[in-house]
Amino acid sequence: MGVYNLLVIFLLVSGLFFFFAGAVGILRFPDFYSRLHPAGKLDTMGLFTSMMAMALWVVHEWTLGAILTALKILLIVAFVFITSPTATHAIVDAGVRAGLLPWAKDSREDPT
Amino acid sequence: MKTFALITVLLLGGLLFYGTPDFPDWGDPASPASLHVSPYYIEHAVEDTAVPNIVTAVLADYRGYDTMFETAVIFSAGIACLFLLRVYRRKSARTRLYRHNLTGVTLRIAKGGKLPEGSAEFERIDSVWVPYDMIIKVTSRLIVPFVQLFALYVIAHGHHSPGGGFQGGVIFGAAIILYALSNDLRRAFRRLSEKAALLASAAGVLIYVGTGLLCLLLGGNFLDYSMLAEMLHTDAIMARSHGILIVEIGVGLAVMAVMVSLYYNLSSAGRHDEGL
Repeated sequence: MGVYNLLVIFLLVSGLFFFFAGAVGILRFPDFYSRLHPAGKLDTMGLFTSMMAMALWVVHEWTLGAILTALKILLIVAFVFITSPTATHAIVDAGVRAGLLPWAKDSREDPT
Repeated sequence: MKTFALITVLLLGGLLFYGTPDFPDWGDPASPASLHVSPYYIEHAVEDTAVPNIVTAVLADYRGYDTMFETAVIFSAGIACLFLLRVYRRKSARTRLYRHNLTGVTLRIAKGGKLPEGSAEFERIDSVWVPYDMIIKVTSRLIVPFVQLFALYVIAHGHHSPGGGFQGGVIFGAAIILYALSNDLRRAFRRLSEKAALLASAAGVLIYVGTGLLCLLLGGNFLDYSMLAEMLHTDAIMARSHGILIVEIGVGLAVMAVMVSLYYNLSSAGRHDEGL
């Protein structure tokens, strides 16, 4: 059981790490488009690992109810996997349509 | 004027701070809020109404009168938005844009030109915002049914878990708004027209009030669902449970329709021709 708990803890901590890195990335990246990169990808990844941890923790006791709960948790992951990239895509699309230029290394002014 | 406002705010804040120590302690069983009816609800809700979720029992049964007027408030918000924003006068001076579906070429028709109905080759598009995004359309087409199913689940499962008419109605409305956002307003009108949305919002309130009136006609108090027992072929306790469900369906219908009609009016500035 020790290895099982360690696996759950590892997944949970790595999920937290991804969320934290995503938050740092949103704050640190130079412009709108590159900020969407951590916002979209790392949140999805962090959600994936932490939800996997929860699903594993729930099936700790192997009953039908626990398995159904774990499947529901995995369903959340599936929906976020579909919707999160789409949302990022739509936001980038809106930025391009609104005429926001991507940041380049030699840009003088500080873009927001 | 600014200093006057500051003095007022400081005085009021000081008064509030002065009054704070008189509040009962956190979770104090002797506080006024937990003395009168709360113990009764906590002890008797399940045996009175057969609803495990006490919040739902209080919301839709013990205090059903209150919730009825909450629904009426939402309905009147939708009506108020309609009266404030809706514009019925058609302006034909606007130019229209059409997209040729096969080639993607956009045509701009200045005046008078109208598309034959049911043309598969051309499609009318919005003049300010021209989304042609297969990814978003396909994703929303994939997601919308699940969102709607979840909304129905939230409405129907309010007896046992957090949920109920308000939450489920909002989720259902959000599904339709997502459809309207990912396609366009005209396509959403084909699914749920303005008239249908308004009728549904009124029908939701009518279901709620009608249930109450039915109880009154059957000889009980207003919204006393146990009077419906014979009609529903159950005993009085289960009748209260079913009555809550009927009322929640009405609430969900009203909230969903009001959300959608608010979106229709706000996104197109009341003109209902081109929207987000």
